[in-house]
Amino acid sequence: MIRELEPLTGLAAELIRRAERAGVSLIWRAQARFACQTLVRNGSVESATASSSTGHGIQLFTSRGHTILGSRDDFLPQPATTLLDHLAGAVGRADRLALEPAEICPLTPLNARAIPDVVPEFDSIDLPRAGRRLIELERELRGAVPGAGIKLSYRTDLDCWRVFRSDGTDVLFAMPRCGLTMIASSNGGEGRNTVGASLHSPSPGCAWDDEYLVRFMARAKAAARLALALPDAPAHPAGSYPVVIDYALAKGLAHEAFGHAAEADGYRSSVLAKDGRFEHGRKVGADHVTIVDEPVENDHAWQPFSANGVRRERTVIVDHGRLAGGLSDPWSAGPGGVALSGAGRAESFRNGPVPRMTNIRIEVDDPLPAPGRFEDYGPEQVRDLLANAGVFRRHPVVSFLSGYSGGQVNTSSGDFVFNCKAIYRLSEGGVEFFKPAIFSGSMFGALHSIREAFGPLELDALGYCGKWGQSVPSSGGSHRFLVLDDHPTVRLGGG
Amino acid sequence: MLDRFIEKLQAFRCDGQSIRDWSVYQSESRRLSLGTKDRQTGVVHAPLTVSEGCGARYLLVWSDGRISRGSLERRQLDQDADSALAQARAVSFEDPDSDQVQGPGDFPEVDLHDGGVARLAGGEVEPLAGRLAAIRQVVESGRFRTWSGSFGGSEATARLRTSRGLDLGGRGTSFGWHATLNGEIGDGFGARAMDTDQEFEARLERLSDLASRLSLPGDPPQAGVMPVLLHPNVVENFVLGTLLGNLEGSGVVNGEGFFRKEQFGSQDPVLRTDLNLRLDPLVPMKSGSYRFTAEGVPANRCHFIENGRLVQPVLNLKYARRFGSSPTPVPTSLDTVHLEGPPELTEKQGFEAAAGGAMVLSVLGAHTQDASSGDFSLSSPQALGIAGSEAAGRLRGTISGNLFELLQSDHLTLVRFEGEHTPGLLVRCRFDPK
Repeated sequence: MIRELEPLTGLAAELIRRAERAGVSLIWRAQARFACQTLVRNGSVESATASSSTGHGIQLFTSRGHTILGSRDDFLPQPATTLLDHLAGAVGRADRLALEPAEICPLTPLNARAIPDVVPEFDSIDLPRAGRRLIELERELRGAVPGAGIKLSYRTDLDCWRVFRSDGTDVLFAMPRCGLTMIASSNGGEGRNTVGASLHSPSPGCAWDDEYLVRFMARAKAAARLALALPDAPAHPAGSYPVVIDYALAKGLAHEAFGHAAEADGYRSSVLAKDGRFEHGRKVGADHVTIVDEPVENDHAWQPFSANGVRRERTVIVDHGRLAGGLSDPWSAGPGGVALSGAGRAESFRNGPVPRMTNIRIEVDDPLPAPGRFEDYGPEQVRDLLANAGVFRRHPVVSFLSGYSGGQVNTSSGDFVFNCKAIYRLSEGGVEFFKPAIFSGSMFGALHSIREAFGPLELDALGYCGKWGQSVPSSGGSHRFLVLDDHPTVRLGGG
Repeated sequence: MLDRFIEKLQAFRCDGQSIRDWSVYQSESRRLSLGTKDRQTGVVHAPLTVSEGCGARYLLVWSDGRISRGSLERRQLDQDADSALAQARAVSFEDPDSDQVQGPGDFPEVDLHDGGVARLAGGEVEPLAGRLAAIRQVVESGRFRTWSGSFGGSEATARLRTSRGLDLGGRGTSFGWHATLNGEIGDGFGARAMDTDQEFEARLERLSDLASRLSLPGDPPQAGVMPVLLHPNVVENFVLGTLLGNLEGSGVVNGEGFFRKEQFGSQDPVLRTDLNLRLDPLVPMKSGSYRFTAEGVPANRCHFIENGRLVQPVLNLKYARRFGSSPTPVPTSLDTVHLEGPPELTEKQGFEAAAGGAMVLSVLGAHTQDASSGDFSLSSPQALGIAGSEAAGRLRGTISGNLFELLQSDHLTLVRFEGEHTPGLLVRCRFDPK
């Protein structure tokens, strides 16, 4: 895929020259993506696909700040120059629709590359071999958790971009994403539930990597057992409760509750901004809580440069309970009153980039120990952690929300929701098991109520974020477990 | 382009194998869209966008019986057929139920193309100016803080050829718009042609009315089981999404959905006995209308649920064979999906029947629910109390229950909302106000 982008230097120069002649500036985004996937179900390969997607997006800007974006799914020179000439004519007629201009902040030209070492491995992906491997793993899962319906998939995705700008910027980067995913369904009885598990790796060789497989299989078996148990679980009563959440849910909280509201393209309506500007220094959470977003090497959502050719910076969004920084691009940083963080991401060459998170995490000062592996912690072990830390003296019963299954936020109101895979009520006396329920409320209430944290940072909770109709990888985490006191604006359930 | 590719396909050999049967569905499209982000139309985060695209989906059955299935991009169709076919062979797999290729048959004629939308897709944006002005006027007169939204139009041509002699073509257009007021509540429209100005303005007016009502404080009811009126947007987003997801053939055959294979065709109802779910993809100019699927299955009217009984899952060729039935048409948009049942109440009658309860206008977290269980626990930050026979002030809360139990309940009532294809549903479920 990198090979598709290497020869584009000449065409980029021609497009920049034509843009200049038309009196407009250019950002040219070329993308080449290669994805493979195979799915195994009931002991045989259900599907195996290899697909590529290449194309480019031409975004022009007038001196008055109007913009237009055009795209085409090849790199042929003649259609590209024709498209640019067409767009240059169309953007000049923007006044017909009363389009709004936007001012760009000063940018420094950048010439850089970021190609991870694993990229050559994508040249030798053997999908039939991966299918056979999945059949072996599926057999092992079926043996370990009899009665569960198992669907197992292997995916590889190499997403390569080259971004040119009129100011001479030329940035090339490749983002490798691979991993295994399992979906387990309960097959017997009256009820039915589905629970998934997945684990990211940058390497297509993950399906043969013993260390990776130990972690993945532990998660997959736990998810399959949960799927079997859930149909008989009662509903958790609705209300405000002290809760303990795992790091995947903490990622959901950081992403849904704070990350989206910190994206600078939304400051005209975000609850973290006033009159369109980020409210630096505003107290939004407990003093020992910090939220950070940054690209993490080898991560599912790693992106070293923005789709506008700006280097992605580490951003402390909340620093010890106070707003500190936002996620911005060259058009939103100035109006929003935040530093340029290079947060512009796009799903494909067809899309206009918007400020997005990459890997977001909640950090808590002075976390308590939680030794071993994360996969070693079931509800009983989490209960022991709370008991040893004296949490039950403050709250005799704590609801443990385990596993993240998606979320959503309204950045205008600060309302967030996310769902878990199961709930356990923990107390000195034991553990009670319940169906999952929505965790919802006010972002400020949630961030103020964080108390204890247990264990080191775990940052590989993965997902896809669908902001503005564009799906891009997201990830993040926190310490292994966070305890939140009950708060009247934060509720669990009903259901 | 497709014919050249198929010539290469027919001559292709790899690992000593040729391609015994094949089906290739090619489409080519152009699209224009324009967004508005927080009152700023066409700003860099919601730009005027034009795009051109071309691609294909294929099924190849090799002479040794192995299967390749996937997609091709323009470059592969036009310039790189041999390496694309070699890659397809490299990832081929054994799947005896996937070796089906459609031959000629009777395909319905359905009007799917509108000249106005085709011109919009080609760059004639003038029709959008009046629409934008109308939204801006509603925002000003309603004193709404902000709005965001988008307009889009596309034109596409498609062609399907198979080794059994099927050669079908068609063209269609697609138009859609969406607007959200105050970052909270939105509405929109989609079809093969633009809605009329009157329809557009009426929909905006209804949206403005709901957004205004949300600005009024409500009187929260006591938590508990109560009448809850699900707005048609919630029915589409959550109820129909969950139902159709559980009717998907692969999930049914593999025991992964709520409905079990043996329940289809049985006389035992799984939902209330006056509920129907049917598809009509033959209505001209609907988003979900079409002539044939990418596999070459003709569009046709069909029931998935009739009188509360499961008739058939949504079946493609592969899962039709595994299920032991014929392939079905596929729902592609909810404007051709019909949820029908007992005599519908008018909006006013619906409010009267829901007095003391809540009308839920939108839900957060529908995609986080486990559709295979039907259990739901959804946040509804945009809800209205119902007092007397009309919607009153704003409520926030959580609704919870089991969707399939609601669809079996005697309390279930359909409510017809003005201008909406899908009915609202009046149910009794738990509402926990915040």
